[in-house]
Amino acid sequence: MSILSQLNSSFLYIVCGGIILFIALVSLFFLIRAYRAGKAMGIDTTKMKRVITASATFTLLPSIGILLGVIALSGSLGIPWPWLRLSVIGALHYETQVATAAAEQAGLGGLSASTMTAGGFVTICLLMSLCIMWGMVLSTLFNKRYLRRIGSGRVQASGGPGFGDRTMTAMFIGLISAYLGSYIGGLVSGEGLLRFRGDWLPLAVALAASLAMAFFVWLSEKKKLAWVESFSIAGSMLLAMASAVLLGGIR
Amino acid sequence: MSNEEKQALFESYNKRTHLLGRVASVITLVLLVGVPFVIGGYLGTAPDLAAVGSGFLAIGLIWLVSSVAEWLVYTPMLGAGGGYLAFITGNLINMKIPCAINARDIVGVKAGTPENEIISTLSIATSSLVTILVLALGVLLLIPLQPVLQAPALAPAFDNVVPALFGAMAYKYFRRNLDIAVLPLAVMSLLFIFVPKLISSTSFMILPSGALAILLAWLKYKKAGGAAK
Repeated sequence: MSILSQLNSSFLYIVCGGIILFIALVSLFFLIRAYRAGKAMGIDTTKMKRVITASATFTLLPSIGILLGVIALSGSLGIPWPWLRLSVIGALHYETQVATAAAEQAGLGGLSASTMTAGGFVTICLLMSLCIMWGMVLSTLFNKRYLRRIGSGRVQASGGPGFGDRTMTAMFIGLISAYLGSYIGGLVSGEGLLRFRGDWLPLAVALAASLAMAFFVWLSEKKKLAWVESFSIAGSMLLAMASAVLLGGIR
Repeated sequence: MSNEEKQALFESYNKRTHLLGRVASVITLVLLVGVPFVIGGYLGTAPDLAAVGSGFLAIGLIWLVSSVAEWLVYTPMLGAGGGYLAFITGNLINMKIPCAINARDIVGVKAGTPENEIISTLSIATSSLVTILVLALGVLLLIPLQPVLQAPALAPAFDNVVPALFGAMAYKYFRRNLDIAVLPLAVMSLLFIFVPKLISSTSFMILPSGALAILLAWLKYKKAGGAAK
């Protein structure tokens, strides 16, 4: 039996699928619990349903991207393990990096089915888990204390947003700025300092998404089509990704 | 419902959320660390603990630092329920955080309030369930889907999911906060232009970029006279 057949065996599907099912049940439980608590606290159920719809549509496209991560890793690690990793705790942008580095540390020279061994595989699995579990460890140990310290969960009197609220918005603006800056840097100096020969596609796609978003905002605010807002991010991403296909052809 | 009643109801909900979140996290941790040993038992081998130790020192410490930063930054955004779920299910930067922020904006709740806690949990839980469902369907249909998803013509689309996401979010956030956004964007762009090596460490650069944006927001807040505005 080849190593890939072993890594794609029913046993691995059952083990990994079982853990994913557990996480799905936890998510469902938290969802129902939050909905009921929200209702009891007097939060408008229409608003909560809108949040659920918007979050589901928002997630659809990035999830397909994550599925591609599963496909990319399945060639060397089989399907069940990448499926587990990217459904639970993992992250698309660094999963491949960690798997590759773990394979090197396990003495396999790199991530490849041709050099993969059963011992190497389980070593990679353990290292991948140990590397990326710290967010969960920290939240288990310190979430309660940390949230209490920053004063989260206080009912506020009505009025303008406090600085805590602005901090979150500012942090998010910082996050977006870092990524957009990296696309600009990649274009200008990605292929040598100030050579302007780097990849322009991420920046063009980001621009296309911004334009699409501007259109959706216009529909929502000027044409009073409020329902558009729930789909605006997913719609902008879809249009921008379609533009990537077109622009990718002329790159 | 008075604010006091609402606060009491929320506190009882929140207390239980911490307990349930911790239990779910511990079970997930045990499963994730235990499963390589279980698979090893099935394959007739075991993880090489010496290689795991040296590997962790070589690459794990970087992710440890990154995880601490992510936890410090994202926990206040997500609240208790959303926080536990997001750290269990992962894909924070490219999915859960923007998803929760988008949900918060759609219904107009303030960070740190009980409403935000509920909305954030609804958003993260929905997002996790959709991802799990898409991946499960994808794995089920992997063989027929693979040629479509891996078609070279579609590769630029899937390679640029994150730029598409942040481009859309940029318009939404920058248009109302241009005075806060311009400087971090300029500083980050210049840093990445003149030190292109940093491009591979973008997730670490979120911290200085976020700190600069927070500083600008604070100055604007103070200038406007604090919460009165």
